[in-house]
Amino acid sequence: MRKSRFLWALCLPAACLSQSFSGETFNEELAIRALPDGKVASRFEFSTLLHGASPRNPRNLSSEDDSQHYTLFPLALGQILRQYAVTELHLTLNAGKWNYDRWGYPDEPDVATGASMWTWMAEGSPVPRHSVDARWRDLRNALAGLFCASLASLDEQRTTSPVLAFVPQGALPAWPQTEPHALRHASLPSEHVCTENLTPFLKLLPCKSRAGLARLLNPHRLLDADWHGMGLHVSWLPEEGVRVRLTFQSVTDPLRAGNTRDWSLSSLFDRKIEAACPVAASSRVVVALPTDESYSIRPEPSFVGQGRGIFDLAAQPLPLDVGLHWPTAFQYATLPTAQSPLSVRRTLHGSSQDHSTLAVSIKNAGPAAVRVAYLETLPWIVHLYLHTLELSVDGVPRADLLRDLSYTAPVPHGRAAALEAVLELPPNSTVSLRLGVGRAFLQYGEHPPDAQRGWELPAAVVVVLPEHPGNDSQRRVYTSALLVDPATPDFSMPYNVIIFSCSLVAFIFGSVFNGLTRRFIVVAAREPGLQAE
Amino acid sequence: MPPHVHPEGTTLRDPSKLFFQLDFNRRLIIASYWVVIIAAIPLWWHFTSIERLSLPTSRVHSQAANQLRFPVQIQLENIQDASLPASLQQLMDDRIQRSPQAWKGLDVRVRNQNGANKPGDLYTVTANDNIPFASQRDLTYPIRAGTLSMLADALSILLVPPTDTHRVAQYSPRYRLAFTLLNEDAAAGKSISGWDISDAISRHMSPILNDLSVLHNFTIESQVQFHAPLAFSPLSVADGYGITPEDLTVFVNSAEWSLSSSVSNDPVLHFVVFIPSASRRPLQILDSRGSPSPSSAFLLPQWGGIIIYNPPPEQESHAPLPQSALNSVFSTFATQLLALLGVPNLPPDVQTDAPVLTGWQLDALLRRRALENAKGAQDTLKSIVKLVDQIENMPVGQDVKGDVQDSLTALDQMYASSSTSLNSTLHQSANALTLASRAFFNPGMLALLYFPAEHKYAVYTPLFASAMIPMIATAVREIKAWRKQRREAAAAQ
Repeated sequence: MRKSRFLWALCLPAACLSQSFSGETFNEELAIRALPDGKVASRFEFSTLLHGASPRNPRNLSSEDDSQHYTLFPLALGQILRQYAVTELHLTLNAGKWNYDRWGYPDEPDVATGASMWTWMAEGSPVPRHSVDARWRDLRNALAGLFCASLASLDEQRTTSPVLAFVPQGALPAWPQTEPHALRHASLPSEHVCTENLTPFLKLLPCKSRAGLARLLNPHRLLDADWHGMGLHVSWLPEEGVRVRLTFQSVTDPLRAGNTRDWSLSSLFDRKIEAACPVAASSRVVVALPTDESYSIRPEPSFVGQGRGIFDLAAQPLPLDVGLHWPTAFQYATLPTAQSPLSVRRTLHGSSQDHSTLAVSIKNAGPAAVRVAYLETLPWIVHLYLHTLELSVDGVPRADLLRDLSYTAPVPHGRAAALEAVLELPPNSTVSLRLGVGRAFLQYGEHPPDAQRGWELPAAVVVVLPEHPGNDSQRRVYTSALLVDPATPDFSMPYNVIIFSCSLVAFIFGSVFNGLTRRFIVVAAREPGLQAE
Repeated sequence: MPPHVHPEGTTLRDPSKLFFQLDFNRRLIIASYWVVIIAAIPLWWHFTSIERLSLPTSRVHSQAANQLRFPVQIQLENIQDASLPASLQQLMDDRIQRSPQAWKGLDVRVRNQNGANKPGDLYTVTANDNIPFASQRDLTYPIRAGTLSMLADALSILLVPPTDTHRVAQYSPRYRLAFTLLNEDAAAGKSISGWDISDAISRHMSPILNDLSVLHNFTIESQVQFHAPLAFSPLSVADGYGITPEDLTVFVNSAEWSLSSSVSNDPVLHFVVFIPSASRRPLQILDSRGSPSPSSAFLLPQWGGIIIYNPPPEQESHAPLPQSALNSVFSTFATQLLALLGVPNLPPDVQTDAPVLTGWQLDALLRRRALENAKGAQDTLKSIVKLVDQIENMPVGQDVKGDVQDSLTALDQMYASSSTSLNSTLHQSANALTLASRAFFNPGMLALLYFPAEHKYAVYTPLFASAMIPMIATAVREIKAWRKQRREAAAAQ
């Protein structure tokens, strides 16, 4: 026994060495917090750091790249990042609408409905296929193949480059003789995250879903949640290296199953943590502890502090099934109190098929004035009439609240529109913004499948601008997606339409032809009266 | 019916005297309709027909009849008997006649030592009483009248080595070598956490890759996986677990092992070290009789190589691959790579001091790859021509035509260089094959394949039938009336 303990002590530093010799570290964390309305928000974060690595300079795309040797970093992703010289990449696939009013801000800010993707890439060499746009297209296709999602539809008709809303999370290298980095952003609200997206996501993890926290990623439970979404975030941290974060967030409702808000890992995910991932440098479950109520948590956390109970998988007996229990029953609040100071509502008014009004109301519940950027990215089928822009607070026009406005006009059949407005929100007030919207008349082939359903407009984004520039923490609030239905033809009878129009053409042709070639004669009328004369 | 006569005594004018009712004018109007329609037919034909450029069919067929020929000259040096070259030539000719298929494309000539200049296709055999020894393009051999037949056999193996064509990967100018360390289940303990692969590659692989750089470029990638389950359960045998030969065929679990991504179209050669789960050690390969075989490595033809490594029982809980194991693994990988790329072996009795490959081996490989590529390009070109002939709806655009022409040009250049430079012959043959394949798989050739003529008629008939019937009817009536008028005019005379 003593000998084995001695051996174990020898092994420990060796194990630590083995984890750092390859220059890669893997950390995983599961954060669980109860939401005010009785639901439970959980966030998985799997973060792999490639020490000392830096993004590829697109000027070197024509020359041979270094061999790629990875231990923990996913090779499939690493190849894509190198091949297209991506400096920063964010891809999220979410299902449902994040309810800011009830749930507050999410742990991961990118919660736009559907697929959403934004990257920072530098302009490459003069070779056309190394330009940012060509690489953006190839990157979408590669990620579409990797994640089995229709990211290829995030094409030029949905791509925009807004200035304020998406600042890089890491650093952007300043390469000599290379153009500065450019942003590409696109979102597809109709895309849904499903098992076929989750499976490739799990394959990017070093322990897949067989050990460690990823064991809890049970598709049957996650895809049944009230809200769920996965994300891939790649950024470059100059002092550390290239970091890949794979995240999965979900909002589960324990009250739906029983009349209690008690939760445990086995009730949320139908699984327990049975084995630790042997290559994880740290593996933690962080539970936000209630502050103003009595509760009991089991088992005992390894560490409690700052209102959080932390379970370290290395120090906990396995299998681990963390659970939180409230002795008192849950009381539904009659009036939900707003959990976030900003609340955004966006609707589309109007019954005609070519004109409508976009109405946005942004409520600032805070005691201080806030400066925000409002970003609207629209496919070209809707275009905005800027001269109809109205800003008002409680019915009083307040044009002075608009501090800045930039608008990229749409190109029919080509480019999406982007409207970026900087607004000053007075304290404790609701600013409403109204804009006239025109709808295009689509060609036969441009209608999506199930055309009668209409087009989904991507979520608008409200970004709280920091008071001092340089403060990079950005708060983004996404609105829900909107449905706009353009005039749709009856797709069921194209052949009938052909026959109808051909008949009409034939009729007109026949009449003209007949009129030109008809022979007129005068016939003597043999009427009785005439005969007598 | 008698011709209509304008009634007399009416105040109305006779319509047939009006300008627009003149017989001539009416016929002119009808004729102009027909002229427009007939003039429009070529235009309609042009806009509705499929673009089918003519392919250089006769050039393809004449090119396909060509046969790549490599001259090979063997010079005997330091020999006592001047009749030896002639008898060796006789022996070589016998062997060529016996298996013409293997010697296809080679013109072997044995010449005497007096040739002073050394062209590129010259191989030297020097008489020497030591053991047979090959280096670059030279062979020292104890040449006597009695050993001449053995020398001919050795030269046969050096010049046209026997190969297993099913095992060798198809030629590609660039391969990706994917090295993967697979732990069956790291959570079960005693797993391998990593390997010092850069060092191993530079020691074991780089010399090979440098020697083969005239044939292929290589991209190298590696990864470590910690959970790679098998799709079957190994058999429990006396001392551990075993894999039967049937299980080896389904060893690779493509669904669970993400071995490589599809970021490029280059073919991938996989090299996998498989570490069995701690609960299934040692894992051995069984032979057909069910007893453990001494080897722990096997080769999947055209796919790659797999090595099963059982860490020693006294290994730490989680440690990198030890240096000794890394060396043995990578020397096996090196052998497997040579087998997959079709690098021939030396004859069993011939020694060498070359670190990897002698000139004999490299040249034999270059010749075989060039012959394969040339045949592949010729076959592909013939298939394109045949396919385009058979399917009349298939469009042939400028890019397909250009690729076919470029491929033919590359084949021409290949023939031109076959007697001077092996490297440029191989390069041109690879180029020809790539272009021919690109033409064959051009997506534009599928464009209208599934738009049958019936659909077009269904769209045209509602318009044309209803417009053409009155026109034809009027034309027939006018022609009848005109002939009648002529007959009457003739009768009146």
